[in-house]
Amino acid sequence: MMHAFRELVIGGVLVAPIVRYVVATLVVIVVLRPALYFIGFSSLFSNPPVAELSLYLVIFGLLTLLL
Amino acid sequence: MVWAGLPASSWAFAIRIWLAIVLALYVSFWLELEAPSTAALTIAILALPTRGQVIEKAVFRIIATVVGITASIAIVGFCTQSGSLLLGAFAAWIGLCVYVVGLLDGNRAYAAALSGYTVALIAVQQIDNPQHIFESSMARGAAITIGILAITLVSDLLAAPDHHGQLAVKLNGLHRRVADYAGRAVSGEIMPATIAAGLLREIVALRPDIASLAAESSTGPTRSAAARSAMVGLVAELFAARALAALTASSPVREQITSLFEGDRGSARAALGVPHPGDRGNDWSDLMAASASWLTGELLRRDREVHKSLDALASGDRPPQAWRAPLFHSHRIAAEAGIRAAVYFLLAAGLLAIAGWPAAEVSLSFVGIIIGLGATTPDLRSFTTLALVAAPVASLMAGVLEFLVLDGVTEFPLLAIGLAPFMVGAALLISMQNPVLSGLGRLNLVFILALLAPSNPQTYNPETFLFSVLFLFLATGLLFAVQILIPPVSNDHRRRWLLRSARHDLSRLPCHDKADFTPEECMFRDAGRVSLVVAAGDDSPQHRAAIGEAMANFDQAAALRVCDAELRRLADNSIRAQVGSAYRALRERDATSMLTSAHALHQAGRPSQDRATLAASAALVLASVAFDSPPPDVAVFSRERKP
Repeated sequence: MMHAFRELVIGGVLVAPIVRYVVATLVVIVVLRPALYFIGFSSLFSNPPVAELSLYLVIFGLLTLLL
Repeated sequence: MVWAGLPASSWAFAIRIWLAIVLALYVSFWLELEAPSTAALTIAILALPTRGQVIEKAVFRIIATVVGITASIAIVGFCTQSGSLLLGAFAAWIGLCVYVVGLLDGNRAYAAALSGYTVALIAVQQIDNPQHIFESSMARGAAITIGILAITLVSDLLAAPDHHGQLAVKLNGLHRRVADYAGRAVSGEIMPATIAAGLLREIVALRPDIASLAAESSTGPTRSAAARSAMVGLVAELFAARALAALTASSPVREQITSLFEGDRGSARAALGVPHPGDRGNDWSDLMAASASWLTGELLRRDREVHKSLDALASGDRPPQAWRAPLFHSHRIAAEAGIRAAVYFLLAAGLLAIAGWPAAEVSLSFVGIIIGLGATTPDLRSFTTLALVAAPVASLMAGVLEFLVLDGVTEFPLLAIGLAPFMVGAALLISMQNPVLSGLGRLNLVFILALLAPSNPQTYNPETFLFSVLFLFLATGLLFAVQILIPPVSNDHRRRWLLRSARHDLSRLPCHDKADFTPEECMFRDAGRVSLVVAAGDDSPQHRAAIGEAMANFDQAAALRVCDAELRRLADNSIRAQVGSAYRALRERDATSMLTSAHALHQAGRPSQDRATLAASAALVLASVAFDSPPPDVAVFSRERKP
């Protein structure tokens, strides 16, 4: 099944779908941050930056797949 | 672990920077971006040792690029009919951005500078082809995004250190030094104003680093709040120590208070022998002793608060209180710097226009970049001098790299290997403690990449390279000459304006409007002004005198704010008259009346043991000391010993 990517058009300028997903993922991460702090996300991993990067990639992949 | 005289952390940082540059170039070549060298230059700009600093600067770089691109399109759209009008608009925009740089610090100031020189990079370089501005903006935006992604990925995967550990070490060290200062000052040792001012400067200098903690991880915002509270608390603790030293300078209770700083605090308090603010007594010495006791309690409370904030920073928990850290800024100094920046740009543009050389806009854009980046440093002229020194070194390095090391190769692995010694070497210089070497390293990293301008395929054209080198020399030389013609704001002027603003702010206290900031936060803002005074000079007698006056203003303003805060807490109608006369004494800056009001409040508060009334009384005694001439052997608090 082919996934149809819709381009974003701002003032006549076409914006690549990947840019939209990257920005949406950033917004989701920022919103999720207080929840991550609350559950002690960084204390669950030996290398929290890599865990946060992985979470970012998972959300980015999900958004790309589902939207 | 040390290798070749440099710690392992420096080597790890340098290798991360090289890998990030290689990754950014590889992805840019793969995506066939039009400006792959911008991706590599983004890494050079974001070459910072910790993750939080990198991420925060990257965010501001994106925001500033969008602002700069919008300004470029708007300026060219409005002023494209006339070349001189266009250059005037560019100069005005760069001046405005440099003005904003003067009002901000850290990466926010960098963002303002970048907004300015993005115009120089995009609009000035396309001054003869304004229809290409949008395309070059898109190319630049795409390359910057790739650069940011590359350095973020490399920092995460190669475990770039977190910043909070280093900040905790610095804050703990400053805490020890403030405690040591308190002990020595209270025991009667003469402490020159420069010591306290130097401590304030070191504390305030941590503000940008603490702000960048928020971007570090999910615990970043709480650690940032804890570090900020510790930083503001340290300033308040230093003030309390100076106030206590001045109050006890001629007091018989000094020895007992000194014992508090020498060990057993519990038994020392019991042995203090001074009455607490509720103890009975009916003479002036009782009032002074009660005030000293209150101030000792305040100092110990501040010390405990800083301890708790530092513990919260280490554990990632919320601090006991969340202070804000307002930044002091001088509109006058910022405006002077902005006007000068616009004039420098206009003069350089005028000289290049008179010369009539082809492609001189490249040189003008270098001028814009150096003005913008120099505005974020404490001394613009030193930065220009550094650029003047770095330009030939970087040109030599870039020439060796392009025509001796690479010499026509087209394979990417060879480019990556060839880049290694130059990038690693420059990054190692950046990691050094010496500010001159560190600045040279950063400029070399930027200039080498700008002159090499990696592209796919690489042209290896000696003529293009020589023109680029010529334009860089021309830009740095021209800016240096223009700054000799119109020098940046002198240190004398800076000091004068800063002291004038301190006097002006002091004259408005106590203010009856609703306070935006707590007394502690205002103390921190005033400490920012003291740090600017310290930075505006060397070891001259005039400079030391200015520091003494700045510290006196700091102490008096803080004492007035503490008094105001304590008096505001008094809601009892029966002592309204005493509160009114206390405010009158504070407005008149009359130390004797302050002491009389303090005595009246002390008498009013004693029967009911009202702590708020007695604290206000003690704060008034503190203010009276701040506005009274201290004994000749005390060089702390209100009027420092002038050299």
